[in-house]
Amino acid sequence: MVSGEWRLNSQMTNNQYLTQQTKQGRAAMWRCLGLCLSLVTLLQGEALASERRLSVVATLSTFADLVRVIGGDYVAVASIASPKFNPHFIEPKPSDVLKTKRANLLVHAGLDLELWRGPLLDAAGNTALFPGGPGELDLSQGIELLEVPSRAATRAQGDIHLYGNPHYWTDPENATQMASAIAEKLTVLDPAHEADYRRNLHAFLERLDQKIPEWRSRLAPYQGRELVGDHRAWPYVMRFLGLRMEQHLEPKPGIPPTPKQLEFLQHYITAQHIPAIARAGYFPRGAAESLARRTGAKVVLLCQNVGELPACSDYIAMMDYNVTQLVEALR
Amino acid sequence: MRLLTGLICGWFCFAQAGWADVSERRVDDLTQEVQRLTQLIERLQGTLQLQQQRIAELEVGRSQPMLPTPTASQVGALQRQAAGSLSAFNPEIGVLADIVGQLSESSADGEGNDKLSAREMELVFGHPIDPYSRLDVTVSFSDFEAANLEEAYITHWGLPGEIRGRVGRLKPKIGKAVAIHRDSLDTVDEPLVVQSYLGAEGLSRTGVELSGFLPVPWTAVTHELTGGVMEGGVGEGGTLFGAVRRRPSFYTHLKNFWDITDASNLELGATHLVGSKDADSSFEVNALGLDATLVHHVTPTNKLKWQNEAYLQHRDETVTFTTDESTGEVTSTSMSNTPWGWYSLLDYRLSPRFGIGGRFDYVEPVEVDPALLVRHADTAWSGHLTFYQSEFARWRLQLRHTNFAQGGDDNIVFLQGTVAIGVHKHQLQ
Repeated sequence: MVSGEWRLNSQMTNNQYLTQQTKQGRAAMWRCLGLCLSLVTLLQGEALASERRLSVVATLSTFADLVRVIGGDYVAVASIASPKFNPHFIEPKPSDVLKTKRANLLVHAGLDLELWRGPLLDAAGNTALFPGGPGELDLSQGIELLEVPSRAATRAQGDIHLYGNPHYWTDPENATQMASAIAEKLTVLDPAHEADYRRNLHAFLERLDQKIPEWRSRLAPYQGRELVGDHRAWPYVMRFLGLRMEQHLEPKPGIPPTPKQLEFLQHYITAQHIPAIARAGYFPRGAAESLARRTGAKVVLLCQNVGELPACSDYIAMMDYNVTQLVEALR
Repeated sequence: MRLLTGLICGWFCFAQAGWADVSERRVDDLTQEVQRLTQLIERLQGTLQLQQQRIAELEVGRSQPMLPTPTASQVGALQRQAAGSLSAFNPEIGVLADIVGQLSESSADGEGNDKLSAREMELVFGHPIDPYSRLDVTVSFSDFEAANLEEAYITHWGLPGEIRGRVGRLKPKIGKAVAIHRDSLDTVDEPLVVQSYLGAEGLSRTGVELSGFLPVPWTAVTHELTGGVMEGGVGEGGTLFGAVRRRPSFYTHLKNFWDITDASNLELGATHLVGSKDADSSFEVNALGLDATLVHHVTPTNKLKWQNEAYLQHRDETVTFTTDESTGEVTSTSMSNTPWGWYSLLDYRLSPRFGIGGRFDYVEPVEVDPALLVRHADTAWSGHLTFYQSEFARWRLQLRHTNFAQGGDDNIVFLQGTVAIGVHKHQLQ
C-alpha cells in the first residue's frame, strides 16, 4: 500500500475515512499474519528437512568434505575449524557448541591435534559424542602414524604430539582409510541408506585410485628432493610423493620462527640447494618470504585443508593443487 | 515372420550382451571391494597381534626396555593402547603460575603496593565422573594469601531439554571478565568495575546454575540463557552485595552470539543480578550488566578484540552528603543510589609473538566518604604489551594511570609472567 493513498480525501466523511482505514488496516494485518505464517512454515519445513538428515559435525573442513562426499544428501555437515586458521589453536564459539550439542556424529582427527575438542564437548554436553560414544568417529584409528616419540615427551621439545604426527589426512592413501571409516560409521547410524553410502564410497575410492598414480607420476622426476616446511604438518604428503622435509621455520613444533632459526635455515638452504619453502595459508608469511629473499628459494603455498584456498574446493582438488604447486616449485 | 523372429533374437542377444557387461562390471567392483577389505583386515590383524603381544608382555611383567625397538607405527599403537589403561582414570592435572611484579607511585605502605609476588598458583583437576557428569576443581595458592578453593563444581549434562547444570563453587556465567580466570584476561588486572563491584579477583561463589540454548529456528545468531542462585556476598573487596552468605543472590544472563563471517563475530550479552546488601531478607540490590564484544581476525594470526562491559546498580539505600560550613565548600549533593561503571578494552594480536592493547575504566563507588569526594568516579587508562613466548608461557607489561574519586591519582607498572604445565583446560566462554 502506497502511503499517499492514506491521505484524507476532501470529499470523504470522517466515518468513511475511518471505515476505509479499518478495512485497509485489517487487510494489512491479514497480510502480515499470512507472511508470518508462511515464514514460520518455511522455517519449520527447513528445520524438519535438516532434521531428517543425519547431523554431522567435523572438526576440520577436510573431514567435513569427506563426510559430504560419502553421505551425500542424507547428511547435514558442519565443520568447527575454519580452514583459514591453524587447526591447533581454534577457539570454539557458542555457535560451534550448539552445532555439537545437536549433532548425531562427531568426526575428528583423534590423537592430540584438537586440544580444544575436550572443552567443546564439555560445553556441548552431548554424551553420544564423547570418546567411545556411539556418535564419535576418530579417524586416526587404523592410520600408520609418523614421528611417534620414541621416548618420554616433554614440553621442552615444543608443542610435541604425544602419539605421533596428527596431520595424516594430507596423504591420499590415508584418505582411503578415512573415507571407509566414515562410510562404515554412517551405515551404523543410518542403515536405511547403507547402499547409498557404499555407492558414494566406491565412487570416491575409484576417483582416488585414478588420481593417486597420476599425482605420484607428476612428482616422480623429483624423487628424494628436499623442501623446508613451516610446521611439521607435511610428513605424510611428503612420504606419499617421495619428497623430503627435514627442517622447518619453527625451531620446535609450535614455537614461532626465531632469528637464530632463520639464520640456520639460510645456511642450510644454500648448502643443500633446497629449491622451495612450503607453508600453509595460515602460517605467517613474513619468515618464509624473508628467507626466500635471502636464499633465492621459492615460497610454495600449500593447502592443508579443504577450502583453505579457492582452488582447494574438495579433497581431490586440494591434492591436485598441492601437487601442481610442488611441481612448479621443483621444476 | 522371419523378420520379426530375427528382430526378437537380435534384441535378446543385445540384451544378453548388455547384462553380461553389467555383470562383469559388478564382478570387477566386488573384486576391488574384496581386495580393499582384505587389506583392511590384514592391517587390523597386525594391530591386534601387537595388542595381544603387549598384553602378554604386561602379564609376565616384562619391562619396556627389554622389548625390541618398535617401529613408529607400533609405538603409536602401543601408546594409544596405554591410554586405555587404568591411569586413564586419573584426573587431568594442570598447574598454572601467575607471577606479578608491581610498582606504584603511591607512598602508602598498603598491601599490594610495590611487590613481586606469586600472585596465584592454580592447581587444576578435572575428569568425567560418569557418563552424565564431570568434576572440575581449582585450588589457588599465593605467597601472601591463604589457600583458596576457587572452583569445585560438578557439571551435569543429562538434564532434560538440552540443559546443562553446574553445582558447587563456581564462577557464574555472567558478563565477560567475571566468568574467566585471571590467566585468561587480556590485562594483568581485572577491569575496575569488576574489582569494585564484584571483587578483586572477580566473583566465585557456591551455587547452582542452569544454562541452555534457546530453541529458535534461525542459526545465524545463537542465544544462550543462563540462570543461577548462589550464596550471598561477593569477592574480596566487592561492594555490590553484603557479606552475609546465607542471603542468596540470583543471576540470569542472556548471551547472543552472531557469526558475522568466518573471520568476525559479535557477542551481545545482558545480565541481571539481584541480592541483599545486609542480613535482612529483602533483595534490595539489583544490577544490570550489558556487554558487547567484537572479534575480527584481520589475518589468521592477527586478531582484533574490542570488549565493552557495563554494570548499572539500583540500590535501595541513600547516602546523604553534608555541607562543610567552615569552608563553604559544597559537598551536600546526594550520592545517587544508582552507581554504575564500565570499561572498554581493545586488544590486538600483532603477530604470533606480540600483542598490544589498552583499556579505559570508569566506576562510580558504592560507598564513599562524602568529605573526600572529589570526582564522581574512579577513572583509569591502561596500556599493555604482551609477549607470547609459546602456547604455554606469556609475559605482559602494563601501565595504568588511575584518577581516584576520592582525589589523587596513581601510576602503576605491572609485569606479569604466566605459565602453564600439565593439562589445563578452560571452560569455553
